[in-house]
Amino acid sequence: MGLREVLESWFRLKGRSLEHLSFAARRLAGIIMALYLLLHLVDISTLALGEEAYSALLNLFSGRLGLLADSLLWSILVIHGTLGVYSAFVEAGYFLQHRRTLLVMAWISAIMLIAIGVWVIAGVLA
Amino acid sequence: MRFRVVIKRVKAGGEPRFDAFDVEADPSESVLDVVERISLEKDRTLAFEHACHHGVCGACGMVINGVERLACITRIGEVAKGGVVVLEPLRGFKVISDLAVDKSRMFGKYKLVTPSTLEIVDGGLQEVQLEKLYDCIECGICYSACPIANTFPEYLGPSLLALISKSGDGKVPAVVDSRAGVWACHAAFECSVRCPVGFKPGESIMRLRRRLLKGELRVEG
Repeated sequence: MGLREVLESWFRLKGRSLEHLSFAARRLAGIIMALYLLLHLVDISTLALGEEAYSALLNLFSGRLGLLADSLLWSILVIHGTLGVYSAFVEAGYFLQHRRTLLVMAWISAIMLIAIGVWVIAGVLA
Repeated sequence: MRFRVVIKRVKAGGEPRFDAFDVEADPSESVLDVVERISLEKDRTLAFEHACHHGVCGACGMVINGVERLACITRIGEVAKGGVVVLEPLRGFKVISDLAVDKSRMFGKYKLVTPSTLEIVDGGLQEVQLEKLYDCIECGICYSACPIANTFPEYLGPSLLALISKSGDGKVPAVVDSRAGVWACHAAFECSVRCPVGFKPGESIMRLRRRLLKGELRVEG
């Protein structure tokens, strides 16, 4: 099975339910976080080039770019986390009758936490 | 009303292609009726499966405008987008020809389903006890809709695990408690949402998983 078929199946959106869209969002967030970890290892490794190189890289992310990057990262973390909590309950066989309600609550929590986080990040970077 | 039916054609050894057929149909007609008419009047080589025509046999499952449905109980007027209906074979199965797929991936594992999976039906006035398989109609729609069954060929699949979960004898084959069994499911629940008879395989898999976690089932083999 090729990577294209796998991605098409996981991230198929047309005609899919909220549950499937949430599955896709959770999985995509997980993949992005794994890629971020790799990127972070690269960024940390600039320390080997000296303080100047590391500081120059950090300065790149001190303005609007930093707000954007940190907000995106926070959003992805929150989506993966809130949908993960939903998933932990239903995948252990709990709240199966109320899973749609639980899923809607997970998304509402995610949106609220993302908004609060972005507001805090903007305040810190201001 | 005029509809354009676009069918994904797959023939042995050939590349998939899409053929379009313009047909006159009443919007309340079933997609299967229209496909049968195309087969009779426009292209006798079109391969597809059907039997009962009223949503019980599960033979005519196909992907209709991107969504898995039984063609016999789907009205063409309800699914057409701008008068166009695109038909594709179920996903997750090997295509035999055109819209006909090989469901042996599902049926081949039925040896895992114990006799206790059969529901005892109250025979009423009859002396003999009747048995029937639980409500699953074995259409394969759940396999096609499941993002895991589509990408993990060893996965036992939603309907089979759901049938095993109905088993009342307190034991399950070891493969059920493995990576290919209940632990492959990632709660997309598309199987339950798409199931045309409301069999809800997703919920059954989660209950089976919970019983395994609580040690209520004996794993054998």
